[in-house]
Amino acid sequence: MTRSTKWMVSAGAALAAGTCLVALAPAQDEPQSLVVDHSECSLFGSKRDQLSGSGLASEARQRYRMSELTSQVVPLLGVAKSRFGAAAGAAGPRLAGEQGVIDTYLFKAMQDASVTPAPRTNDYEFCRRVTYDLVGRPPTAERLFQFVTDGTPDKRAKYVDELLERSEWVDKWQMFLSDLYENTQNNNQVNRFAEGRNAFYQYLKDSLAANKRYNVIATGLISSAGPNTYEDGKLGFILGGFVTGGPRTGQDIFDQLAANTAEKFLGIAHENCVLCHDGRGHLDPLSVWGRKETRLKSWQLASFFSRTNHRRVVINPPANPYYYAIEDNTTYRTDYPLNTTTGNRPARQPLGSIRNVSPEYPFANGGKPNPGENPRVALARFITADIQFSRATVNYVWKQFFVRGIVEPANQFDLARMDPDNPPAEPWTIQPTNPALLNALAKDFADNGFNLKDLMRKIATSDAYQLSSRYEGTWKPEYEKLFARKFVRRLWGEEVMDAITQISNVPNTQINVAGLGRLSWAMQLPDTFRVPAEPLGSFLDSFLRGNRIEEERRNDGAVPQTLNLMNDAFVQNRTRASGNGAAASLARQLLNRYTALSDNLLVNEMFLTVLNRPAGEDELRTATTTLARATGATARQAQVEDLLWALYNKVDFIYNY
Amino acid sequence: MKNEKQFREYVERHPHPHQHAAIRPYFTRRGFFQLAGAGVTGAVLLDRPAFGQEITRGGATPISKAKNVVFMLLTGAPSHTDLFDFKQSADTPLNVMKPDTIKGIVWPAGIMPKLGNQLGDLAIARSVRSWALQHNLAQSWAQIGRSPAAALGDIAPNIGAIIAAEKANERVPGQVFPTFLALNSGAGVGSGYLPATYAPLKITPAVSGLPDTNNPDGQARFTAKYDLMQKLDQPLRDAAANPYGTEMAGYDGFYQAGKAMMFNPDVEKAFRYTTAESARYGSSGFGNACLNAAKVLGARGGTRYIQISFGSWDHHTNIYTALPPMAKQLDDGVSALIDDLKASGTFDETLIVIMGEFGRTTGELTATDGRDHHLQQFAVFAGAGVKGGRTIGSTDEMGGSTKDYGWSRDRNLRVEDFEATIYSAMGIDWTSVRYDDPFKRGFYYVPESNNDLYAPLHELWS
Repeated sequence: MTRSTKWMVSAGAALAAGTCLVALAPAQDEPQSLVVDHSECSLFGSKRDQLSGSGLASEARQRYRMSELTSQVVPLLGVAKSRFGAAAGAAGPRLAGEQGVIDTYLFKAMQDASVTPAPRTNDYEFCRRVTYDLVGRPPTAERLFQFVTDGTPDKRAKYVDELLERSEWVDKWQMFLSDLYENTQNNNQVNRFAEGRNAFYQYLKDSLAANKRYNVIATGLISSAGPNTYEDGKLGFILGGFVTGGPRTGQDIFDQLAANTAEKFLGIAHENCVLCHDGRGHLDPLSVWGRKETRLKSWQLASFFSRTNHRRVVINPPANPYYYAIEDNTTYRTDYPLNTTTGNRPARQPLGSIRNVSPEYPFANGGKPNPGENPRVALARFITADIQFSRATVNYVWKQFFVRGIVEPANQFDLARMDPDNPPAEPWTIQPTNPALLNALAKDFADNGFNLKDLMRKIATSDAYQLSSRYEGTWKPEYEKLFARKFVRRLWGEEVMDAITQISNVPNTQINVAGLGRLSWAMQLPDTFRVPAEPLGSFLDSFLRGNRIEEERRNDGAVPQTLNLMNDAFVQNRTRASGNGAAASLARQLLNRYTALSDNLLVNEMFLTVLNRPAGEDELRTATTTLARATGATARQAQVEDLLWALYNKVDFIYNY
Repeated sequence: MKNEKQFREYVERHPHPHQHAAIRPYFTRRGFFQLAGAGVTGAVLLDRPAFGQEITRGGATPISKAKNVVFMLLTGAPSHTDLFDFKQSADTPLNVMKPDTIKGIVWPAGIMPKLGNQLGDLAIARSVRSWALQHNLAQSWAQIGRSPAAALGDIAPNIGAIIAAEKANERVPGQVFPTFLALNSGAGVGSGYLPATYAPLKITPAVSGLPDTNNPDGQARFTAKYDLMQKLDQPLRDAAANPYGTEMAGYDGFYQAGKAMMFNPDVEKAFRYTTAESARYGSSGFGNACLNAAKVLGARGGTRYIQISFGSWDHHTNIYTALPPMAKQLDDGVSALIDDLKASGTFDETLIVIMGEFGRTTGELTATDGRDHHLQQFAVFAGAGVKGGRTIGSTDEMGGSTKDYGWSRDRNLRVEDFEATIYSAMGIDWTSVRYDDPFKRGFYYVPESNNDLYAPLHELWS
């Protein structure tokens, strides 16, 4: 996290007539550092800026292939003159990409609808966007500049590959999976305790770090049994299906496991409805599949879990912590029995001669366990072979990048409205906004071995993902389903916190979690509830990270977010000029690096570091005018701190766009 | 429903909408196709009715006695038989509890003397039963007024969030307090599926006031940097100009609301307090929350629903060592709250509800000198014109079950009934159903019952 003062070369005066100053990174095969030391220039009074700039440019010219760099940078400077700083159009629109599965279908849909897509996003925007989306952090200014000035044609794809290999990728996507699977210390029904939660968390981290295939992860979660949920993290999913207050014969638990499995792995949250009653009369206006689905069929799904028992193992009374053993064929040894009158769900009574419902996969082409096969192992086999498993998964992942799913809500698939060749009767229409894309992407995901990194690589390198979030011309709501522009996303609380930590160069020392010790980054948290301790917990809560129980993570704005960003000590302290040497904060570094005579440089470096783009012309003028008002070192320091505060509170900091 | 005949009788007895989705009043044919067209055709992003427009009202007449609610959740399942439904057992330490009979109510005057003097303001419901002996579950149940395990239970809003949504249009300019305030309720339920606008502002009261409503650099420097930020960000905060769309521009509204709470004398007056004031409330975290509630409601700054959580009352061990000091905090806090609300003229418009998630056993203490759990519990009501000095319903000798229901529906009181009571008191038709839930299933303000209608406890006012 140390920021080097050595990398940045001010070439502004030479390149842009002293208006907008942009730093250059060294080209490949060149020394990685150029010492920016202006001491000699202080002799030159008011001409210092100009001279130091040209002096450095001249030095740089000798050491770097300036002509090449210039040709790349000049268009960017034009960009920066726009009202908002970084604008569209570093590269012109590149339409109808035809290499990848995503572009083929999305751009065809746009063409068919005669909708012009937004232009391609520029390098600054792309670098920031994809870094937040893949690893939950902003790029450092160094890396941003390497990227922007890199002339390699496939640099975006290379950068995506680089991000996919970073450890932060594991952190961010464990958070995604942990949200999805609702990993908590305790929920309304069951205590995992910190140990069980941490074990589940670690299992997901390890799986991602090894790029374990998603069908393997799903199979492990659905079918594992074992003696100790503190030690075997993959039991955490089945553990989460435990329900209290149900009949002693276990059906409420089997039902909950069926509901969780259907929602998380197949995107079918309505399964939970039909576990209480037939869909007819309840789901008619919601789901063509659902209105025909019966409670009996949902019991067939639940029956795969009807031999699964959560056995509580008390460790140390009377302190009373306990873990669970997940076992098959111990307490429960039959197919799903129809014999209840109590519990959380309506009575289950024999249907004619049926007293036990045997396991049968209610989706796709059906399927029953092989003789002697553990039913949960069979279920994992059916699910991971079902194209719906792929569809649901790619849609969940898609939504993280494109903000909206191809099917929305992402957990409410209607299986009877998936096939474009077999549309439902009026007034229903096909559910996915682009069914061909969803099916092709799902098939591609399955064909490539359920490789999450491969899926994310295809998404992040697609032209569709690289469309600008600015739309030229009149935007109409019906363009949304075409994904004709990129949609903005308010950053997660963890992303805001980690971004400010990284940008300020002031480490976060307050994240302590039972069993895991001190963590450096919010994205490494194993839970979204009650960790870390106050005040950081409230800070993250205000950004609506959810609690994985009744509160989902969401992107709404809310007043406490702004109070935190404006006033909380976490942010406020990170606007300060503090520390020195490697521990110098951003404000301190900038003050050390630039005197009042190079405010342009200071402002630009701050914009690049915080907002990942050069300052726009108006912004540069506003900022430098403000800085120029300061008389004396103390006032100047305060002005720099306040400018940094202002950037942390800009909406284009708070949003990924 | 147990059988069709019973269901029909039930529907006839109760004009409460319990009909299959397709024939619910909401689903006119046109409505159906609108829904089908808007919600599910893949054009989910289009034509979505504006938030709050999809509400049907069952037509119940609310009693409309309260402008505000203070809901106190005593977490951990406080011993009803040592507090508000006192039962003397062989193990009861009489020198500590000092049971006395006040207004005909047997009262542990030794641990709650001040509330004993205010019994004339308290109505104590005793025919109350929880649904489940699972702490987290039953605590959520009390806050959302329905089973967290039921459909929509896991996305159900806190009762306070519904009230915040219902009362949004009653806010007047200059009111900057949050409609829903949650004190010491870090684990409390939030806005569920409703927008975060209606979520509780969760805070822990502090002498220094509402956190983050002052900038450490002082008002002058804050104003200067806020102006700088506005200047830099103005184009992005203008919905017409923001090239990224209205969502990002709309974020400025939250900044304006946040800034309005800052360096605001009304906010400071209502949320700050002195140690002397705190002492009058018992100098405890719970007392400070009561103090905060009194000041906030007295200021009439827009806050309508305050949840206060206070725990843990889970006295499985050494109950007679652990419970009395907590009862004292309760006694100090609630009694001072009642006094101050009366002083500010807000007692008569504020409904106070105090309850746990379930109760505890009586008789012999456990091996660890504690008490385990009964489903039986209590609920205490005060303010908003509630007729106090009495009990509603009674329990058997052991406090384990109801002897006398004491209210019109002639069954145990449930948290769903209290939910209806709160809505009714606040002037909200508790039979409302809103169809803006993500499943478009219909979110019932008060859920349906298999056997009887949940209903407000209007007996509190008669």
